[in-house]
Parts: sequence; structure tokens; C-alpha cells
Amino acid sequence: MTQEELLEKIVKEVMASISDTPASSAAAPSAAAPKAEGQVTKEDYPIGEKRPDLIQSATGKSFKDLDLDKLLNGELKAEDLRIRPETLELQAQVAESCDRDAFAGNLRRAAELISIPDARLLEIYNALRPYKSTKDELLAIAAELKDQYNAPISAALVAEAAEVYYERKRSKEFR
Amino acid sequence: MRSKRFEALAARPVKKDGFVKEWPEVGLIAMNNPGDPAPSIKVENGVIVELDGRSRDEFDMLDTFIANYGIRTEKAEEYMALDSLEIARKLCDINVPRAEVVDITTSITPAKLTEVLGKMTVLEMMMAQTKMRSRLMPSNQCHVTNVKDNMVQIAADAAEAAIRGFDEMETTVGVARYAPFNALAIMIGSNVGRPGILTQCAVEEATELDLGMRGYTAYAETISVYGTEDVFMDGDDTPWSKAFLASCYASRGLKMRFTSGTGAEVQMGYAEGKSMLYLEARCLYVTKGAGVQGSQNGSVSCVGVPAGVPGGIRAILAENLMAACLDLECASSNDQTFTHSDLRRVARSLMQMVPGTDYICSGYSSTPNYDNMFAGSNWDAEDFDDWNVIQRDLKIDGGLQPVDEETVVTARAKAARTMQVLFKELGLTEITDEEVEAATYANGSQDMPDRDVVADLKAADELLKRGATAVDFIKALERGGMRDVAQSVFNIQLQKCAGDYLHTASLLSENWEVISAVNYMNDYTGPQTGYIISDERWKEIQDIPWADDPETI
Amino acid sequence: MAINEQVLRDIIESVLKEMSDTPDSGAASNAVATSAAAQADSVKLTPIGDAQAGTAADEVLIGLAPAFADSQIDTIINIPHDKVLKEIIAGIEEEGLKARVIKVYRSSDVAVCGHDAADLSGSGVAIGLQSKGTCLIHQKDLPQLSNLELFSQAPLIDLDTYRAIGKNAAKYAKGESPTPVPVRNDQMARPAYQARAALLHIKETQHVEKGKKPVEMKVSFQ
Repeated sequence: MTQEELLEKIVKEVMASISDTPASSAAAPSAAAPKAEGQVTKEDYPIGEKRPDLIQSATGKSFKDLDLDKLLNGELKAEDLRIRPETLELQAQVAESCDRDAFAGNLRRAAELISIPDARLLEIYNALRPYKSTKDELLAIAAELKDQYNAPISAALVAEAAEVYYERKRSKEFR
Repeated sequence: MRSKRFEALAARPVKKDGFVKEWPEVGLIAMNNPGDPAPSIKVENGVIVELDGRSRDEFDMLDTFIANYGIRTEKAEEYMALDSLEIARKLCDINVPRAEVVDITTSITPAKLTEVLGKMTVLEMMMAQTKMRSRLMPSNQCHVTNVKDNMVQIAADAAEAAIRGFDEMETTVGVARYAPFNALAIMIGSNVGRPGILTQCAVEEATELDLGMRGYTAYAETISVYGTEDVFMDGDDTPWSKAFLASCYASRGLKMRFTSGTGAEVQMGYAEGKSMLYLEARCLYVTKGAGVQGSQNGSVSCVGVPAGVPGGIRAILAENLMAACLDLECASSNDQTFTHSDLRRVARSLMQMVPGTDYICSGYSSTPNYDNMFAGSNWDAEDFDDWNVIQRDLKIDGGLQPVDEETVVTARAKAARTMQVLFKELGLTEITDEEVEAATYANGSQDMPDRDVVADLKAADELLKRGATAVDFIKALERGGMRDVAQSVFNIQLQKCAGDYLHTASLLSENWEVISAVNYMNDYTGPQTGYIISDERWKEIQDIPWADDPETI
Repeated sequence: MAINEQVLRDIIESVLKEMSDTPDSGAASNAVATSAAAQADSVKLTPIGDAQAGTAADEVLIGLAPAFADSQIDTIINIPHDKVLKEIIAGIEEEGLKARVIKVYRSSDVAVCGHDAADLSGSGVAIGLQSKGTCLIHQKDLPQLSNLELFSQAPLIDLDTYRAIGKNAAKYAKGESPTPVPVRNDQMARPAYQARAALLHIKETQHVEKGKKPVEMKVSFQ
């Protein structure tokens, strides 16, 4: 199977699995610019062990309340186990307290992407590959990230890619 | 007449290896290439406007990315003014703490760091590696694959590997459509062996992310980056696409690292006349800039190239050390065949085994090499006792320990049976009692009966189509009476919700404690500091069952 | 290995073919297959202008990398390029199809050589071939990084395999779904050959001329 077919197939399958589980978009409202509950450092790490009170799942379930029995009796769904932006913000703070600023930056970018459906994320990744998109197409994705998903850091990354690819003749115009 | 001595030497395994002489102009040189750029930096208003001899308008794509993200600018000009020899001395000086060195090495340019390491011998670099490794204690990772893509065998081999001491495990596929089964098998089998093992399945980038999102894997590592723009394009990616991909993983709570290695660019014909180490430096700065916590490097699948030129194994040690200098987790390769000579095999690995890296092998083949689907590893299952004895000889911790046959057989049996139950509960293809038995006692896939591949692939496709996720696996395991395994798979999902294991050089203990370079930072400052093998651990390492006991002999 | 219907069919067909071929090796039916293959010692490639898109559905293109049979004359295991080309062409002709040879200059990448050739192929099928011997079967509609069959370990490709590759390419061109040519795997190929492979690839890449169009080659065996 070719890469494009493969991607298309994956996207379709993931789309199908998403439509089966309507709660998967529950994280959307809390996306971007998360307000972390307080400031943490490496002293609070591992947060799941030392400060579990600070962690909730994407659906707002308390981390301490997540257990196997609840999953088995149907009280918990897959979405209840997903990470939420506030948690990645806490982890970014831990990273900063270890002087790992670039890593913290990645975690903050990731926090913005939580609310984006799997299939759309895979599409955007593919669009960022060389010669796959025009400058305008990439700028449109940047706008979508900023306006629709409130993801300014990721939007800036994609907008920067649009400029650099065009400059280096690596965008679709030059295929 | 032919010298009998020379005849004997000609027949030695090392004579089957390929060697070439240096050709610096095209980059067929490991390190110290006169063609490498002279280190330089110019920072204006916090923006790097000159990098290693190029001004911003001359930057290629990698220069731009590295200048924008890969270097801490605050003290960059100050540290760039230091003599490279002085930085090299600090690296191997036990009186200079790791943090002080990292402050420098994360503020200088790729050409500068290449120049620094170019001034060090392998012994000095090993000293530096001991100090610069990010996690306090070293660890090890294995490959679990087989030529038949037999998932029952994968589960059994993973269970055994867990008992032998591997904390991370990686599988891949012969036939791509087997990926969901292989990923499932390595996760289940390893966690039967010991709870808390992290597993991955190396496949095409988009598929790999997809498997992670669905809960078949806990981390990813085959996210390749390259040191020249042309080769990056041939790899169908850019630093920006890879940075975005890195964030995609973290957004789903999945650990990941990038991979790169010396020799890739020259092998693909576009090394731009630079040394292999300088180009690897660029890969690592892209990795750092993308905000990724770690790197699998050490030439990896291109190892035949640096190993064929003078000083190539030294360059591989240098690139591992370079990752540590950038405060990255380093999974240090040692995972690919590069020689016919057992002597070279060991000499190459001692560079990482002795100082210890975060993951000494990023793929010790836990099966015989004929089953290794990464084209063969530098170490395989039939070397287990050699590895254990080398640890015992040198009193070093290479992550493994001797095991007894009964424990291993019991774990293999349980892993195979768990797969049988899981497949039944998920309505997949049948796993017979005969297969469970064969996997329990197998050395490799030659000991396994053949499966109905067509039916397996159909079932694997169907499993993906119905959107099965970790939650379905957990429920199926419970229904099948495997509650402890269900609990382990559930606990892995909890880690993805808390995100602690996203941090640098993480692994999970059997009690689900996250151990990483945050709560277990390497604090080596000379003898009797840093990671010290405990009495209990030393007993484990030395206790080979076949040693004579003075009391009973 | 699972034996499916197609595999079985192919085995039976090839056995039948062998049986019918063997007794009358000098007969007319065999003349096509052996015309180029058997006798000639060397091959001469003469450039005859820019390669054109073909319309004949019964052609398979062979896209050679820049140094092939020019600055390099044999593969990584010293099989002469003459013989490699002869076997591939013989494999194609054995299936009753025609081979057309072009030289690609814009890249030394085997996927590019194969894909550029496939774009010009009347059947849409082509073989990409590097001087060190690495080759693949490509098809027009596939993405460049994909392929129909890939033979990435040049040290393991012998003349029989090259002939089988030619045959399979022709079968794809006829719209069949042949059983892939078995890929050999040897974990010790890397230690023995990877450094030399890099060397040969660099040398081939030095003959890349960015922007230069593929050139049609007249093939004459001598």
C-alpha cells in the first residue's frame, strides 16, 4: 500500500472510530492557554504520585478516581483516560525547573493540540511534509490552528514553515 | 609461495568486514574533517543572525530551525568565546559538575560541539559519558521480532526479556499489516514478564502515531531526522513536520524520541563534504530544538559506514556523548550488525556498556538474530550469558541479570496463554494449545508452527476497522481471567493521563514508579558518587547459576 | 508460508513453461528470449536524444542511474553491467514484452530513476537500476517513495534474480499480479558492504545533473 493510501485509510478508520465515541471532543472547551492550578517544580514530580490532586483527565475526572473497576463496570470510557492541557502545562513547568525550556515548549505546543481530532492531526502532519502544500495552504492551516483551535504556538510554527519552505523552494509550488 | 601466517589471518572473520579509506571532500570521514565549518555565532536582540560561518540569508532549512530553536542564546556568545580545549577538559573533569557543563554545551553551536569532542580520546569521552548521562542509572532496551510475525512467540519472548532486565522493548513487522498484532503482543507479553515495561512498534511514521493514539503502544522512537536538507527531503520530512509530529505524540500523552546517526547522509550521497559527526550534531540540535526529550543515535542502521572508516567507532561514542551534552536522553544504538568479528562487536559496545547510557542498546535482539527484523543486532539472545558474564567480570550494570530456566518458562507460558485468551475474547484468529506450548519452549520461529497468515491479516485489519483501543484490550483480558495483566495495561493508560513519563529518560519500575532524569538526575562527580551498584544488585549480577559453589563442591 | 491460489497458479505455470522450454532450446518460440541474452558479451549504450513518453502498452522501461555502464561498469559484487542489463531485458522479453532503456540524470536515487522511467513508460511500469546494483520495480501512479517491488540489498542480487525482476516487471505491465521475487536477507551484508555501497553511491551522485532530462539509450549487444 502506498503512503498516501495508507494515510487515507488510517484517517478513514480513525474518523469511523471517532464518530462511534461522541465524547472524544469533550476536551475541546478546555483547550489552549490552560490555567494550571498553582506552580509546580521538579520537587512535585512525579506529579501523579506526589500531587495527584492537580491532575484531571480530559473529561474532568479526578486522577485519583481513575481505577480499573470503574473502567470495567463502564463508569470510565477511553476519553476519561486522556491527558488534558492543564496537565501538560504542569509538566512543562517541571521541565522548566530542570532548565529544559525547549522540551517545555514542545509540551505547551502539545497542550494546544489535545482538542484536535486524531484524523485532522495526521492530515496536518502530512501537509507539513516537503512539497505537499503551497505556502497559502500552510498559512490556511496556521489560521485554522489559531482561530478554530486556539493554538497560537502551533499556528506560529506552521506559519514559519510556510515561509521557510517557500524560501527554500520546498513547497508545492516548486514540485 | 603464500605465507601461512597471512593465510591464517586472511581467514579471520574481521577480514570479511568492509573497510574504506577516508575521502574528506565528500564527507566519507568520521570526524575532524578540515571541511567542517569554523564555529561562530552572532546574536542580535536574542536572535541568532550568524551560525557557524553562515549569515541568516545564507541559512539552509536546518540552520534556520537550529538558530530559532536549538541553541540557548543568553550566554551563547560568552561560551562560544571559550577555547574548545577548555570545554573538552571540563567534560572529562570530575570536579566540574554536569549542570555546569550542560549550561555551556546547550549554548554553543553544532560546529563548536563537534570541535570540542574532536579534542577528546575515547577514554576521556567515556569518562564524560559517565557524568553526562541524563538518568542516574543506566538501562537497556531490546528488540522482540520474528520472521514469521508470530504474535504468540513475540509475547513469550517479550515476557522472557522483561525477566532478563530490559525496561523498554521495540517490535516491528515483516508484513506491515501485522502491526496491530505485533504491537499488542509485545505490550501484553512484556507486562506479563514484569509490570511497567514500555513498548513500541516501529512502522511508517503516520501509522506509528496512529497505533499510539489507539493505545497499542506506550512510546515511539523511529522518528528520523537528518543532517542535510537534501537528505531530509529524501526522507520526506522537514524539521517543522517532525517538530509538529513530536507535539502530536505529547498531546496524546505518549513518550517519544527522535532517531538519527552518523553515516546516514554520506550513505544517501549528500553529505556536503562535512564529517559524519558534524552532520549528526545538526540532527541532535534539530532534535533539541523540536523540544524532544531524547534521541536514539549511534549510527544505528548506517553503522557499516562509520565502522568502515578510521575512527568510526570513536565517532559513534562521540555522538552518544553529544546527545547527553544537549541534556537529551540517549538510547545508544548497539543494535545493528556491523562486523563478522566477535572481538569488534564487544569493543564497540564497551564504549557504552562501561560508562553506561540511558539505554545501552536501543535494540538488543531478544531473539536469535535470524528472527531479528531490524536486519540483525550487535547482540542477540544467544549472547545473553556472555553479556551477563561481562557485567560480572567488570562489575558494571548493563541492565541485565542471569535468570533461571523455570522462571522464564513459566512467564513465557503465561504470556502465550494470555495472548490465546485475549484473541479469543476479542474474536480474533485462533491461537491453539499447540502454539502456546511451542512458544513456551521456543528459541526462535523455526520452533514455531506456521499460522494462517491470510486469516491473521484479515483479523488485524478488522481489529483496526472496528476502532478497538486499549480499553477493549483491558476488558477482554479481565473477561478472560487475566486481571493482573488487565491492571498493567490500565496502568499504562494512567501514565498517559498523568504525563510524568514524558520526561527525559523515563522508565517505569515494577511498582509503576516513574524513574527519569527529573527525580533521578545523574549526579556523578567522581569515585563513590552517581550510580553505585547496590549490594543487592551486585549479588543479582554475579549470581550466574553455573558457577561452582565453594561450599558444595 | 501460506500457499494461496495465485502462488500455486504461478508455480504450475512456471513449471509448465520450463517443461515446454527445455526440449527445444533452439526453437523459434525461444528466439526472442535468447536473442539478446545468451550470446552477447558486452552492451553498448548510445544516447539518441531526450526520452519520450511511450504509448505502447507492451513496453517496460529501464531507468538507469547516471553512472551506469559509463563511469561505473559493474555492481557492488562485480557483476558486469552488461550482464545485468542483458538478464533484465531477457526477463522482459521472455514475457513477450519489449524493453526500452533510458538514462536518468537528475538524481541517483533508485526510486527517482524508477519513477521517472515509469512516467515515460507506455505500460506505466518501469525498473529503476543503480550502478551498484540496487533496483526496484515502479509504477506510474504510485508515490515516489513507494514501489511494486524493492531489492535494496545489492550484494544479494544475482543474475537469476535480475532476470526474475525483468519477468515480474513485464507481468505487472500485462496487468498480472505476480508473486514477488523472493527477497534474500543476510544480516552480514551490512558489515561486508555498507561502506563500499556508500562509496559507490557517492561516486554515482557526482554524475547527477540537476534539471537534465532523461535520455533515451539505444542498446546494442556485441
